[in-house]
Amino acid sequence: MNPEGDASPAAGDIALESRGVGHGFGAKAVLFDVNLKLRRGQFLSLVGPSGCGKSTFLRAIVGTHPPRAGELRLFSAESGDEGKVIDAPGRDRGIVYQQYSLFPFLTARENVAIGPMLDQTSLAFRCLRRLRWRQLRREQWRAAGDMLEKVKLADAMNLYPHEMSGGMRQRVALAQAMIMKPEIILLDEPFGALDEATREDLQYMLLSLYEENQKAVRQGNRPPYTLIIVTHELNEAIYVGDRLVGLSQFWDWRKEGHAAAPGATVVYDKPTPVFDTKTARNFERFTAQREEIRRVVFEPAPPCDRHQHVVYWREQTAR
Amino acid sequence: MIRRPIKSSTAAFLGVLSVLLLLGGYTFLAHRQYQRNPDDTTIPRWSQLHKGLQSAIEVNRRSEDRWLVVDAVASGQRLFLGLAGGVAASLLLGLAMGCFTPIEAFLHPPLSLLAKVPPTAALAVFFVLVGTGNNMYVAMIAFGVLPTMTLTVNLAVKEFPDELLYKAYTLGASHMEVVWTIIFRQVLPRFIDAFRLSIGPAMVYLIAAEMVVGDVGFGYRIRLQSKLLNMSVVYPYLAILAAFGFGMDSLLRLLQRKLCPWYEPRR
Ligand SMILES: Nc1ncnc2c1ncn2[C@@H]1O[C@H](COP(=O)(O)OP(=O)(O)OP(=O)(O)O)[C@@H](O)[C@H]1O
Ligand SMILES: [Mg+2]
Repeated sequence: MNPEGDASPAAGDIALESRGVGHGFGAKAVLFDVNLKLRRGQFLSLVGPSGCGKSTFLRAIVGTHPPRAGELRLFSAESGDEGKVIDAPGRDRGIVYQQYSLFPFLTARENVAIGPMLDQTSLAFRCLRRLRWRQLRREQWRAAGDMLEKVKLADAMNLYPHEMSGGMRQRVALAQAMIMKPEIILLDEPFGALDEATREDLQYMLLSLYEENQKAVRQGNRPPYTLIIVTHELNEAIYVGDRLVGLSQFWDWRKEGHAAAPGATVVYDKPTPVFDTKTARNFERFTAQREEIRRVVFEPAPPCDRHQHVVYWREQTAR
Repeated sequence: MIRRPIKSSTAAFLGVLSVLLLLGGYTFLAHRQYQRNPDDTTIPRWSQLHKGLQSAIEVNRRSEDRWLVVDAVASGQRLFLGLAGGVAASLLLGLAMGCFTPIEAFLHPPLSLLAKVPPTAALAVFFVLVGTGNNMYVAMIAFGVLPTMTLTVNLAVKEFPDELLYKAYTLGASHMEVVWTIIFRQVLPRFIDAFRLSIGPAMVYLIAAEMVVGDVGFGYRIRLQSKLLNMSVVYPYLAILAAFGFGMDSLLRLLQRKLCPWYEPRR
């Protein structure tokens, strides 16, 4: 049986697929049989108990720690229908961490421009073809400036990270990831260290990116941003994403015949309401879903059946 | 209150005051000594110091050279070559160790051992390996500062957060680019700090070695003149050494501020 439900989406529609991904460190099992198909243009929130392996899953997608079992496939215009198996880090996946996303020795603008620089030129090119490099540099510089304006940091272009507030740093980090136009952007608790007001600003910014996606789709274009956001804040998870996936080690693995805990897996996968930037934030609306997630994903007992709440694609096709 | 900040003018005043007190105290001691025994050379007065310095600058009748010039050339050359070699090598080794774990596993044990060997004690080894003359001093200084400095650079590289490393790869960096464009720039200020801290030991090694086996150089001259109690020559030599060390340090600090405006250690 297809663990994600009966229907598969159209091939060109998918940005990332996780097929039976398992992971661990030494004898310690962390992830078990993680199956996920991420639609292009989707904003997926990933939640789960602390230490269940959310960051590990993102590291597997980034490619620095490829999975021990199963495979991750990334789909792009060039890769064709089969996609390419992720086995190393590459420029087609962007990442933003809670900390250490920016190079401390570069200003905001340089931090954004360094992506195109590393991507489009090599060390040798920059040393040997100085004239052409200077030309290119100017273009990249302008693109970085535009990107910083987009995240509302036009005034902070020449500040170093230590001169910026936490919220500004995360905006720069987003711009740094977005300028590469990656197939997917991964956010690992990006707003975890921010105060409430700043956090809301940034959630709002993500919503505006999602609106860009919707606009592109309406015009028949490819949506520009596909995103996985890991967060420990359930309201945030429901608010900024259109789909919520819960990873948890608390599932009924004994029933499947395992002698020891095999690791965390997907126990929850459902759509969440989509908000736009115009309506007020109203968390009352999803109290019921929040309680459900808390019970299924975060409560150790009683262990739930891992397929019961994994219904995203089934519900999609039922519509 | 602990760590209460003061005005910069107050800080400058206190700094100048302490130097003036030092000079004043010396003047007083020298004067008292002169009154007790006008022929004394252990605490020379300023005029005697002036004469002593002059005798070091003028062509000496017996040796037919200018002491200060030949000493400065010899010691300066040894120090610069030794430091340059040691510092450059430790930058490369430290980077390589920090970036590539097998290299670290291979080099860490011997370097930690060598870091504990006083290079002046191993002078004979360098004499055997590279012969006498300048090479011996240069090798001694280079190998003297190398272990500690390499380990310092290695540590700085290892402190580079994994996240930033992954980040660089998602931006399309090659391995070489990660080392030179990213990691090197991040550890540069720490490297300059390590450089600054190694100037002191390098001077200690050099002066000590020159005192033992030198026939020219600051250490040699200071030992000779000290034996003769010619403090009017020894003190100016010490002052020059201090000024040189201080100058080098200031220069490197300036360089650090110019190259790494983002770096702000706790002042
Ligand atoms: N390099 C490593 N070596 C050994 N064990 C590790 C390593 N990295 C992570 N782990 C273990 O893997 C498990 C999952 O870690 P991970 O960081 O992915 O959790 P997480 O879901 O991101 O947690 P949090 O919500 O606290 O960020 C943890 O039990 C952790 O101890
Ligand atoms: Mg984590």
